[in-house]
Order: sequence, then structure tokens, then C-alpha cells
Amino acid sequence: MSFPERANAGTLDPVRLEIMFNALRSAADESFIALMKSAYSTNIKERRDHSTAVMDPSGRLIVQADASLPIHLASMGGLMEALLGKFGGDIHEGDMFIANDPHVAGGTHLPDINMAMPVFHDGELVAFICNIAHHADIGGSVPGSMAGGMTEIYQEGLRVPVVRLFRQGELQQDLLDIVLLNVRVPVERRGDYYAQIAACRLGATRLSEIFSHYGVAAVREGFEQVIERTSKRMRAAIADLPDGIYRFEDVMDDDGVETSDIAIKLEITISGDDIHFDFRGTAPQVAGNINVTLNATQAAVCYTLIALLDPDAPNNQGVLDLPRITVEKGTLLDAVFPAPVAARANTCQRIIDVILGALADARPEAAVAAANGANTTAVFSGVDPRTGDSYVYLETIGGGFGGRSAKDGKDGVQVHITNTSNLPVESIEQEYPLMVRSYGFIEDSGGAGRFRGGLGLERIVEPVGHTCTFNGAGERFTHGPWGLFGGCSGKPGEFRHIDGGGTQSRLPNKPNGVKLRPSEAIMIRSPGAGGYGDPGEREAADLEGDAVSGKFSDEFLAGHYPHHGRDEK
Amino acid sequence: MNWFVGVDVGGTFTDFFAASVADGTLRYFKHPSTPHNPGEAIVSGLTEMCAALGIDPAEILRVCHGTTVATNALIQRRGGSVAMITTAGFRDLLEIGRQTRPHMFSLQADQPAPLVPRERRFEVIERIDAQGEAVVALDEEHAAGVIEAVEESGAGACAVCGLFAFVNDAHERRIGEMLRDRLPGLHVSLSSEVRREFREFERFSTTVLNAYLQPVMCDYLDFLQSRIAELAPRAPVRIYQSSGGLMSVDTAKAFPIRTALSGPAAGAVGAVHTARQVGRPKVVTLDMGGTSADVALIRDYDAGISTDRDVAGFPVRLPMVDINTVGAGGGSIAWFDKDGLLKVGPASAGADPGPACYGKGGSDAAVTDANLALGRLSPGGLIGGRMELDTVAARTAIAPIADALGFSLEKAAQGILGIVVANMVRAIRAISVERGLDPRDYALMAFGGAGPLHAAEVARVLGMNEIIIPVAPGILCAQGLIVSDLREEFVRSGRFPATSEHYAEIERLLEELVAAAQSWFDNEDVAEPDRRLSIAFDARYVGQNFELPIIFTDGERGKVPAPDGAGAVTAAFHDVHERFYGFHSVQEPVEIVNIRVIASGRLARLADCVEGKASDGEATATGSRAVWFDGDHPVDTPIYDRDTLVAGMTLTGPAIVEQLDTTTVVFPGDRLTVDPSMNLVIAVASKEGQVQ
Repeated sequence: MSFPERANAGTLDPVRLEIMFNALRSAADESFIALMKSAYSTNIKERRDHSTAVMDPSGRLIVQADASLPIHLASMGGLMEALLGKFGGDIHEGDMFIANDPHVAGGTHLPDINMAMPVFHDGELVAFICNIAHHADIGGSVPGSMAGGMTEIYQEGLRVPVVRLFRQGELQQDLLDIVLLNVRVPVERRGDYYAQIAACRLGATRLSEIFSHYGVAAVREGFEQVIERTSKRMRAAIADLPDGIYRFEDVMDDDGVETSDIAIKLEITISGDDIHFDFRGTAPQVAGNINVTLNATQAAVCYTLIALLDPDAPNNQGVLDLPRITVEKGTLLDAVFPAPVAARANTCQRIIDVILGALADARPEAAVAAANGANTTAVFSGVDPRTGDSYVYLETIGGGFGGRSAKDGKDGVQVHITNTSNLPVESIEQEYPLMVRSYGFIEDSGGAGRFRGGLGLERIVEPVGHTCTFNGAGERFTHGPWGLFGGCSGKPGEFRHIDGGGTQSRLPNKPNGVKLRPSEAIMIRSPGAGGYGDPGEREAADLEGDAVSGKFSDEFLAGHYPHHGRDEK
Repeated sequence: MNWFVGVDVGGTFTDFFAASVADGTLRYFKHPSTPHNPGEAIVSGLTEMCAALGIDPAEILRVCHGTTVATNALIQRRGGSVAMITTAGFRDLLEIGRQTRPHMFSLQADQPAPLVPRERRFEVIERIDAQGEAVVALDEEHAAGVIEAVEESGAGACAVCGLFAFVNDAHERRIGEMLRDRLPGLHVSLSSEVRREFREFERFSTTVLNAYLQPVMCDYLDFLQSRIAELAPRAPVRIYQSSGGLMSVDTAKAFPIRTALSGPAAGAVGAVHTARQVGRPKVVTLDMGGTSADVALIRDYDAGISTDRDVAGFPVRLPMVDINTVGAGGGSIAWFDKDGLLKVGPASAGADPGPACYGKGGSDAAVTDANLALGRLSPGGLIGGRMELDTVAARTAIAPIADALGFSLEKAAQGILGIVVANMVRAIRAISVERGLDPRDYALMAFGGAGPLHAAEVARVLGMNEIIIPVAPGILCAQGLIVSDLREEFVRSGRFPATSEHYAEIERLLEELVAAAQSWFDNEDVAEPDRRLSIAFDARYVGQNFELPIIFTDGERGKVPAPDGAGAVTAAFHDVHERFYGFHSVQEPVEIVNIRVIASGRLARLADCVEGKASDGEATATGSRAVWFDGDHPVDTPIYDRDTLVAGMTLTGPAIVEQLDTTTVVFPGDRLTVDPSMNLVIAVASKEGQVQ
């Protein structure tokens, strides 16, 4: 066991602080559970695409619920900045604020609705309880508010700046009426808004109890100490990295509209416990929806730092403030109005790959080869011939995880910034007029290496008794995920159309409005991942496993591993 | 005199609980466990118990057994070699799972590798669609070849997992027949038999776990049954299932996965029994042992059922008593995190080497060490002194933590306990919010070896004002076993609109399920008056992706408690939705996805035990020692021997109550009463500290 330096803090010792923070974490967790339990969107209920947090009066992140998502890490800070900028000094007990806009209110894409409620103690503003939830719809031209092919944020849905949803305890019904009129299935969405309101209230009640119990001064000191302690912990991890300049670059396949090979460039400078991320040289923002606002870039950077250096570190401002980030305005990673941003998660995945690539030499034992690097998205829509109702079925499909310093990359899994579950085949076929022909790993799709990359997934879906429409968004469909330290690239993904006779033809990476008749099908193939280390060093037992499991063909193994099978001959 | 015996196998001890059928007299016995074959401790313990307590083995009428054999086989990956047969195109489904990672920020953590490797997952040509139609007929010639491959693989068990087998099980049944014909020694698990419910990954996972456990559990149960038959020829062996009821050995051999949470479930049922004795319908249970604490909420004397659990990292979709586990136990170790904050657990010193004070080589400070250093545990040791505790070793282990904090040794020990209490409090708060309940409306029932040591602090932090310590808190699980019913559940899964046009179909399926339940009653020899039926519908608004159970209970004497038409079902659903989520929507259509019939057979009941002795006086202490509570100084605290307490006695804290299987800490000002069933009921003095 390692012991800390003797504590010399004021009234809060490491025991009392731990117990106080346990209560604060519990407040965030309870708020999280309350939101999940009462929400209506599947996104929130089953996939847990939501987060809750406690912020201090100056908008610093103090504690997040355990199950909160990395992409939401920085977004709440963005909301607070906008909120305090607009309403600072005019915040009252019983107010509740709402926002979603990435360009003026700190959001990262429109379906993520942010809420914040101030907490007062003896008339003094002492904290905020905040949450973010991904609603199933926020209006715009296509159900689900996530489709590609649009070039302005206006087309993606309703934009909400930071506004009061409650004014001193009174619901601003006019505002809610406007919002609900602009979204699909408003009855359900109202349930989601109420769930977020209920989550704020529960969290605020618990925070008030904590302030009453400990007193404002002690809790404030606790906020400072925790940020400071986390910052120190992370700085120590950075100081352990060798000083130097680390560079890496990669490209996005395309924006689905007009631009291909969109570069992300990074130069990281580490000096002592300081780390600077310089993204200058990255491509300008694009017409399609893969743009990222600065908050999402910051979230991707912080996710990678935690994952690489200290996965159990608490998420608070101590982490967020750590990296210095330089990005040019108007580029892919700090897109400005009116850039569309719905598919920003694809780009965040690439930012993470680029950082991992840059820091591989600094932390080879923790580094990971490029994962499938995408949120491979497939959307089937049409009119159900059995009921006459229209339907939209959206799914994001996992792929390979990158090879690691001591083990293979996992096959067929969600990576990095996303971790949503799949929909069971038995749910898909009960709920939609669709049939899944097959669902499995793609042979030979993981890059060779001492530790190989994970396999991509293949799923074939056909419409039953009607003609439907397919839209898709693929990344790393042109440029495969790279390997590290001699490891080979994984196989890129692709969408294919299968006609009635079984003939396959490749579709664009981000296909729009593909008509599918009964007996035709779509084949979705997500990317594999890159391998780690020289394939020549892969152990015989591991190669044997690759062969016996049937995950790799004899031709692949013979082609990539010259020593494969040598002992047998 | 005739006896029922409950046997609960723990990591360190095997607990026996014997109750006389006629007058409810209770006897306890403990025997060291034999982890290599837990059955040995059961057989030798039973023999010794009969000798020690003067019980004639021929007068034992039932042996009820809660087993951890399945759980341990899963955790230690000691199950059989399993093959899997599945629908063509889907052999990777088991490995893909839900395509999620277990830890959001870890680049290294993966979900566990599937228990059937890819080369033993075989595809057969067949396909059933969502309506249950065989859109691709089973290709028997191809299947015969697959069965040969299963044989060549050397597997000892085979899981048969077809898509939509929950709607139409014909293909699975046919494959099962072919397997049994061709390979008679092979254990076979069909997904439509293990759990006839939709969501293929969870059903397949549950089925594969079942197949994995079959070889191990069949050997174990055969051994146990034959040895007990020799020893106590009149005692049928009943096995406890995770859902809170007993089953026959044959059922347990076919469905061993049903015992995956057998032990903790028995504790919850024992707690319900105690709650009834004390007359408290709303109880939070805290079952704290050496490595973890199990928390459950009892409402209306019902611990509730959950079907959404993971066991050893794999999803198991079977009804299980709704218990949450937190890594807080007597062996939980105190450590400093990288940011300098003190943490306790989830790492545990376990039973071996155990906390430093066990003197078996452990050097890290554990929760038990802190209790000993504060005088809360007796320096005279555990189990009435049979297990010695080393106070010096405990203090030596805590000293470096105290130094690092700049604290006195006792203040550091108090800090360790404060943190372990905070961890349990957080777990209780989480499950309370999940179920929309306020713990302040509940009594806290603490059991397990370590529960009664920490109950007073947990109750204070949560603002609860009553604590219940059962008569035998260390062996409540064994007690729960003998007050349980036989239980079986029959399920049909699909999408059934809850409308009057479609209700006839629901009624038809209900009839089928009830008929199956009746023939189960016949097979298990449950007499007519002891037959109980409940109906549960897992329902949702159309378009939702999650279900809520609506339950119609307690059809007595085999009567079917069927709701009166679709209107009654939807009304009940709106109510449940309102209760769980705070809103409902009468205009939305409701659909049922699972129709369940739960059959329980009441076994012969014990007479209620009321000890003859009674007193309304103050209890008498047997000694005193210095104990640290929450202050800076020790308090000279009277020590009571629980065996000397009789019904009606009272005492006021500070006090320590010691008994063979646990130690109860009574905080200053708290008022303890011994109730007529010999449970301790403690009124918490202070209303302060509703927050940590």
C-alpha cells in the first residue's frame, strides 16, 4: 500500500472528505437513476445515453454520476459557461435552465438536452445540479434528428439557447409548448423532459441536505480540495510521461456531402506536468454533419487522458482544466455556426485515435492500436405493411477494438466514446417489418500483430413484405484502422446492397435514401481494428487459436505470419 | 419429535438450522466448510449435529439446502466442457453479446470470454420468424452431421439455442431428441426450457450457463442425495432456488443455473419471516459478511423479484430475489487512493488470510480490525472464543493509516468504519431511488456476521429510526430455507396486445400454463389445499423497450387469480407505471410480452416459536469494557450475552450484545427490546445525521 503525504488541509481530513464525496457521488447517482427510471426514450432507458453532475456556482464540474458518458464530460461545462454569461447575477431559487445548441449554448449536438438547476442555501447560490439526456427526437427534417446529408444546423432540429424552463418555481409552459410542437411524438418527449426535471429536483434536495449537514464552508472547501487532488493526481501521471513533442495525423473518410480525406493533425508537447494539444493544421469545417464543437473536442481529449493514464480517476474540473488545447476556429474540431454536427461522435472517435497514436511512444504499455474508429450507423425506415404505421429503426454497430500491449483487441464491441448496446434480433423482428439474415464476425478483418486487432461485425437485413429506405453513416470505410509498433491495419468497413439474385454491390460510405425491395437486403460490415506489435512475434498458441476458431483463414495467416505452421512442417 | 433441517453452505462455515415441526423449537449448529466438496461438510455436520443435539436422524422429515456450488463453479470457471447448437448465421451472437464494454474508461477491461469457444458453436439450418413460423425447416440431415461434430468436440453438455424458440420450440425440441438418442450421456439444455423468454443473447447466455453447470451439479447432487438417503431416510432433499423457493433435486439437476443466487435469496426469505414475526412490513435488509454486503428492500412482506442479473459477468435472465451486492464486508481492506483519500474495499482479505487480527498472515487493515481496535468486537474472539482475535495485530495494521492521517489509532479506526458505512448507505440509497421509496419509512434489519456491528451507524446516516436484529443473524439463510415454499414458474413470451379482441388468445395461453402448473403440483405431490397460483404479466406501452410486471396473486387451493379481461390488465398496468415512473398514459395501447404463472406449494408449516421464558425487566450485563463509539473517548460499556436475554427484557445503550454468530453494537441512547420471538428491536435515539 502507498501512503499519501501527511494531510495538512484545514478542517477536512481525507476521511471526512471521502465520506462527504461519497454523499455527493450518491446525489449524482440518485439523480441519474431517477432520470433513467422515468424517461421515455429507449436511448435513455435502455442505452443510458444520459449523464448527471454537480457543478459549483462558478460552473466548475465537481462530481459526475458513475455511469455518465465521456462525450458529456465537457458539455455541462459549456452549458454553465453560457448560462453564467447570460444570467449571472440573475439566478433565483426555483429557476431551472434548459439548452441544447452547440453553437451558442455549449451543447455537442441537438438531441442532447441539457438542464441545470441552481441550489440555494440560506439564500445563497451554492451549487448547480445538471443533467444531459439524448432524446429520441428533437425535430428537424428526418425522424430521430441524427440523419446525414444536411448542411446547416437548422435542418438538424430545434435549437434551444440557454433559457429558463422554470422561473422561481413556475413552469414556463409557453416555452415547453414551443419545444413540444417541434418534436415528433410529443407525448413521449414530454415524459423525457419531466424525467429530467424530476432528476434535477431530486438531486437538488439531496444537495441541500448535504449543505445543511456539513455547512456551506466545509462543502466549498471540499469542492476545492477534490479538484485540487484530482488535478495533482493527473499531473503526476503526466509528469511520468517522457517530455517531448509527439505528432500524429489521420483523416476522416468523407463528410457524406462533398469532401473526402479530411485531415486531423495533432502535435502534443509534454513538459513536466504540462500537456499541450495543438490541433493546428486540421482541415476546415465541412458541409456534412461530422463537425465537432470545441466542447466535444475537449471531451474527447479528456476521455483519452483518463483512459490512457488513470481509468479510475474521478471526473471533475481537475481533469477538464488539465490539458491546454489549441484549435483554430472554423476547423473540423472547433466548428462554428451554421455547421451541422449530428454525427460528431464519429469525429470524436478519430480524435481519440489520433491522440492514442501520438502518445503511443510515451506510454507503449497503455497504448492501443486504432479501433474501428466509428459509430457505424444503419437506419431503416418505411411503412409497416401490417399496421400502416411508419417506423424508423436506427442502430449503431460496434466493430474491432485495437490490439493492446498484452492482449488482442476485442472482437465486435463499441469503442471509446460510445458504449451503447445493440437491439436484440428478436426485438428487431417483432417490432419492425425486417428480418436479420445473419449477424457475426467478419473473418480476417482484424489487423495482424503480436496482439491482433479485433474483428468487425457483419449484419444482413432485409425488408419483409414492403419496400423500405436505407440510410447509413460509415467511417473508416475508406481508410482502415492503423496498427501500432509494426502491427497491420484492420479491414475497412463497407455497406453493400444485395439484389434479389444475391449479387452484391458496394454503396457509398454515407448512403442516403437507398430503396430496398422485398428479397433485397443490405449488408453492413463494420471496420476491424489495427494490430499491436510485429506479427512475426505472435505466439504459436495464439495463431493456433486464430485458426481453430475460424476467425482467420489459412491464407490470411500464411500471408501475415510467416512463422505460422512452421513447426508442423 | 420430527424436524425440518436447513443447511446453508458458506465460505468458512456450513450452518445448520433445525426446527421441530410440532412446537417450533429451534436448534443451530455450525461445522467448518469443506470447499473441495461442500457435500462432505453437510453429511458429517448433519451426523454431528444429530449427536450433539439429540436428534434422531430418522425423525428428520426434510433437508432444505442452499448451495453455492453453482456460483463458485461459475466464478472459478470449473464447469463442464460445453457445445452449442444455434440457428445458421448466428453462431457469434453469444460472443458479441450486447457489444458493450464493462468499464467505460478502461482500455484493457473486456467482457468475459464466452463459456463456449467458437469452434464448439455449431450452426444448423433452420429459422423461425417472429410469428413462430418455420420459414426455414430444420434440415435433419444437416443436424445429424452437427451432432456428430458435437460428439467429436468431446463436450459433456450441449446448449441448444434457436432464434424465436420462445415462440415455437419445435426445432429445439427435435434437436434435443436427436442429441439424446445419439449421445445418451450428454447433458442437454434447451433455451425454450431454461427460460422461454425473448431477447436471444440473454436467453442463450442463461442456457449456456445452465449447460456449463449441469455436469458439476449433477455429480454433486447425486452424491448429496444418496448420502442423505442413507443417513436420514425419511428426509427428501429440497434445493433452494434464487427466486426464493425450493425445488426437487431432479429439477435442480435439469436447471442448475436456478441456484446461482441460492444463498443470498434464502437470507432475504429468512428476513421476510422475521419481519412477519416483528410485524414490520417495510424493511431494508443488510446482510453483511466477510467480503460483501447484500441489500434488499422488503415491502408488504415481499422481497420482490428481479430477472435482470449478472452472475460472474454473464447475464442470467431468471427470476431471482431482488438483491444488490456492495463490496463492503468485515474483510474489506482500507487503502489510500492516488489522490490521498482513504477508501475501504472492494478488495477483501476474505477468510484466508483474513483481517490482520485473525493472525493468519494478513497485514492490511480490514474492517474487522477496526471493530476490534475500538472494542466493539470482543478481544476474547469470535464464535464464543473458538476463533481467537489478535488485538495487537489489528492495531499494528491500522497504525500506518493513523500515522498517514495524523490521527489517533482509534480515530483512524472510526474513519475506516465511517467509510464502509458510507459505501453501504450509498447502495441502499441507490436501490431506494430505483424503486421510488424513502428509506426513512423503513426499518433496518441487519444480519450476517458483520451486519449488527454496523447497523446503528447505517440507520443514523439514512435517518431510519428502528433496527431489527433477528434471533440468529449469522444463520438467517439457513432459517430462511425451512420456511420456504416449493416454487415453479411457467412462462410464455411473445407480443400480446392487451385489448379485448386479443384477450381470448391470452386466456388460452394462461390455460395452458395453468395446466402445466397443475401437473407440476401433481408430480411434486402438493396437496390440493397447499396449491397457490399467481399470474404475472410483463407489460409495456407499445413502442417501449422495457417491461413492468403486473401481478395477480394468491389464488388459493389452486384457484386461478386471472384478471377480469383486458380492461383489468391495462388498468393495473397504468397503476404500476404510475408507481414506478410517476406518470401513465391511458390513451397509449398496452402490450404483454411475457405471461407467467407462478405455482407455489406450501410445505408443512412450523408452529410459531415463542420461547417460554419472559420478563419485563432490565437485562443484566455480564461484564464491561471500553468501547469507542463516535466520540473522541471510550465509554465504559456493559456487555450482554444474548443467551441470557429473554423476551420482554429491555436495555439502553451504550451496550454490546454478544452471541455465537454475531455482535450487536447498541449506540448510546438507543433502546433495545427483546420481542416475543427473541428478535432484538432497537429504537434509534437520535434523529440527527440524516446525511453523512
